[in-house]
Amino acid sequence: MTRGVFMRDKIMNFLVFVLPLLIVLVLLYGMLVWTFYVSVSNWRGTRPNFEFVGLKWYRMMFQIDRFWVDVKNNLKWLGVGVIPTLFLALLIAYLLELSNLKGFETYTRTLILYPAAMSFIVTGTIWSWMYQPDKGVLNTILRYLHLNSLQSGYITNPDTATYWLVLIFVWQYLGISVVIIQSSFRSTELQEMVESALIDGASRLRILFQIIVPNIRGGLFILMGLLIISALKVFDIVYIVTFGGPGYSTDVLALFMYIATFQQHLVAFGAGLSVVIFLMAFAVVVPYTIYAFRRWFR
Amino acid sequence: MKSRSQKTVKFLAITTAIILSIAYLLPIYVMVLTSLKTPYEITQRTYLIPSIDLHPENYAKAFSLVKNALLNSLIISSSVTAISSFVGGLSGFYLSRFKSKFSKILFVLVGISLYLPYQAILVPLVQLMARTRLALTHAGMIMSYSILNVPLASILMGTFFMSVPREIEEAAEMDGATKRQIFFRVVSPMAMPGYASTAILVFTQVWNEFLLALTLSTPQTATLQVKLAEVKGSFVALYNLQMAAAIIGIVVPVGFFLLLGRYFIRGILAGALKG
Amino acid sequence: MRKFLLIFALIILTASITLAERELVIFHWWTAGGEREAANAMFDVFKCAHPDVKVTENPVAGGGGVSLRVVLQSRLAAGIPPDTWQTLGGAELKSYVDGGYLVPIDDLWNELNYGNLIPKPLANAVTIEGHHYTIPLNMHVQNILYYNKKLFKELGLKPPKTYEELIQVAKAIKKARPKMYPLALGTKEKWEAAFVFDSILLEVGGPEYYVKLYKGEINVKKDPNFKKALEMFKELIPYIYPYHSTLTWDESCGLLVSGDSAMVIMGTWAIGYFETRGWKPGVDFDAVTFPQVPERILLFHPDTYGLAKGAPHPDVVKDWLKTVASKPFQVRTDVVQGGLFARMDISPCYFPDPIRKELQKYIITHPGRLILDQHGSIAPFSFTQAYWDVIAGFLSRPNLEKTISDVENMLELYDVKTGASWYKWP
Repeated sequence: MTRGVFMRDKIMNFLVFVLPLLIVLVLLYGMLVWTFYVSVSNWRGTRPNFEFVGLKWYRMMFQIDRFWVDVKNNLKWLGVGVIPTLFLALLIAYLLELSNLKGFETYTRTLILYPAAMSFIVTGTIWSWMYQPDKGVLNTILRYLHLNSLQSGYITNPDTATYWLVLIFVWQYLGISVVIIQSSFRSTELQEMVESALIDGASRLRILFQIIVPNIRGGLFILMGLLIISALKVFDIVYIVTFGGPGYSTDVLALFMYIATFQQHLVAFGAGLSVVIFLMAFAVVVPYTIYAFRRWFR
Repeated sequence: MKSRSQKTVKFLAITTAIILSIAYLLPIYVMVLTSLKTPYEITQRTYLIPSIDLHPENYAKAFSLVKNALLNSLIISSSVTAISSFVGGLSGFYLSRFKSKFSKILFVLVGISLYLPYQAILVPLVQLMARTRLALTHAGMIMSYSILNVPLASILMGTFFMSVPREIEEAAEMDGATKRQIFFRVVSPMAMPGYASTAILVFTQVWNEFLLALTLSTPQTATLQVKLAEVKGSFVALYNLQMAAAIIGIVVPVGFFLLLGRYFIRGILAGALKG
Repeated sequence: MRKFLLIFALIILTASITLAERELVIFHWWTAGGEREAANAMFDVFKCAHPDVKVTENPVAGGGGVSLRVVLQSRLAAGIPPDTWQTLGGAELKSYVDGGYLVPIDDLWNELNYGNLIPKPLANAVTIEGHHYTIPLNMHVQNILYYNKKLFKELGLKPPKTYEELIQVAKAIKKARPKMYPLALGTKEKWEAAFVFDSILLEVGGPEYYVKLYKGEINVKKDPNFKKALEMFKELIPYIYPYHSTLTWDESCGLLVSGDSAMVIMGTWAIGYFETRGWKPGVDFDAVTFPQVPERILLFHPDTYGLAKGAPHPDVVKDWLKTVASKPFQVRTDVVQGGLFARMDISPCYFPDPIRKELQKYIITHPGRLILDQHGSIAPFSFTQAYWDVIAGFLSRPNLEKTISDVENMLELYDVKTGASWYKWP
């Protein structure tokens, strides 16, 4: 191969494989920088105003009670939303692989996947009806079954409302999670390992945790990353089911950002909140990304 | 021994199926009932009781309201899916096969960009669209969504390529094939399951996205989500029409799932475990 | 991909063709139910007067124009304004004026002599620094108490006109119907809670006090009225539907129809809601202004249209605004949509329901009794939004000291005094 041909090959590789991604990244990071720039400007009201005011909006943020409620709620979403979804999805996916029942796999997968196919504007409305305390679906059923003591105020109790919202998140993301885990089951090496373990007489539960889980790390890793991002960025569930209420007890940063920017017309303040969401996500996922990085380039 | 554990699995499977059925069918049941009611009956909030006269004409009304939006959503979602999966495949291949300092940096940048809050770039994105005169067109929406979904697709495809065995590629390389030939002729055909799952993820994300669609859309480009919010209205809360429209709207993504579903048939693992 | 390029090209092509003719690009939020019909009526009147104009509407759904604001703000900031858009008076209008997105229409205003045709407080709500910016087409009144007429008759109750009467009536209902929640409320969107609290504030402090409070001229911490109003609000809680945070305003009105509640405080737009549910005004339900002490004040906000700066078709907009100001336009639109007429020279008899007939008559005889309400608020949006959250939160956790200090802090933080100084009342 001559030098010229080699160079041309390299350039072609760059144009085909790298350039599209590079353009996207430049645009995305450009917008991120722009957001940060706005957050240190004095843009309030409908007209852009890029006068530099330093950290004024960040200082204001830390004084507002609502901001701290939001941070706590976002952490609750992370803590309660991610791991249970991951764990449930793993068990269900494994069960789908194990069971020999006709149609069970297709039925279950279709069943739990439909929330992904359905607008959350609508499923969110349905969930707010499910949770309604006096005539809502869940309490009506409990009354019918004479389980009155299990009735609950659900999303009307400021102390526990967020957890009920997280439950909707688990409901919504379970289908997609199962599909991702299932797709990472498909590898020949894994199949061989499982086969030999079965011959050795290992129990199925042991196979799951000692052979399968370590071998599908990659898939689990991606899934967990996806769930973490979704939990941190959560917006539509809160927006539709409680709109942050009662008061602002179930509010999250993304919703506050939306309200600040578009309703309070405090665009710079809203941009500051976006930066905080990004930094929070960043803090959670940096160790994670480093791990992925090592794995990828080992 | 074997038959006993097979029984346990069966028992577990049936229990799971029942619990999941309740959790996932109950909302659908309420939705269908509501879609067949009159506004007066909705006010009664008897969510679990079907109305005395069913009103299937709600569906006809809802369909005439959302048919254009369905088409718009289909056009936008499928083109974004195609673009993102294609670009994602290229970048994923690059990230997983080219080992250089530059690719490492790119990987970190892609990883971090996954965590960008969506709302944060809404205002600059709309400005960008306006500057390029793409705002308010299908092309503008397709471009915006593609920008947002390419990093996700790249990471997903990248991990997928990581798990694909490399012997065939190496053999092709020995034969003097370029990376591009390897990608298009050898790797891509084998990566169909990876493309399928990426496509499903991207498609559902775009299909269900509301905020950006609301900001960028015009009556000619309004997506289903925008129309669904509109059908309910702020004044009279026509939940019956909204639910009917949503049920009509589910046809498209389900069709899409079915189309790609053959890549999700029982994996190789399943055969082994059944023993 | 080729297909999309084709579609794209087609769109550009149609766009360039339409540029040649007279066009009106308009944004509004009347998208469904009675509002959609009102929008149709509105464009019908306009097209009748100007058959050569092509109307391109962009209806954006979402209560009270919340979603429309998102769309508009992005588009305005990006420099692609429509010709005209629906906006409330007061703080919302002011935010567009401050941004320099609206052109004053003083000439048109004088030509139409519009200032003398509408109530003075309404004119003030669209006048900033002496300039008129928009043409109001209607008024919505916020402080109205609707009640189940048949139930009231059965129990021999009179509709309450003061806070004390409200408590008495609520007690009587609770006694006769223990399963009922006397006062319906839905606070999911938060502003609904402020409606109820506003009524109490108005009774405790009177109209001057009310205006001063939202102009940021009252030291809430030292103010006895504000504390007293909160105490009264707290006393009311046992009679309010307890799961209010799960309901939107329309669902809260539904509580009356379903028999769960007997009364609700809501704006004039609720009349249309009740009617779609098969309830007849004057038969199944009726309404009174609440409160009526120390005097009968109507808290209102208008829907208005103005002229965008950089509007693609300014001449057409002027034709549009003239139509908006006209009698036939307001008669046809307002009767359907649920508001009251902005003009005082239209006969109240056009309204089919007794409630609006009476309200419109009262406005014609007492135009000075109107005050801008929570929606078209006196205070800037940055404050109002946060204030709603605190007042709605008070209902779940009625902590007087915290609420007072929160409101005090917000008045300062969002600089209400400067932001609301434009508002003149009476």
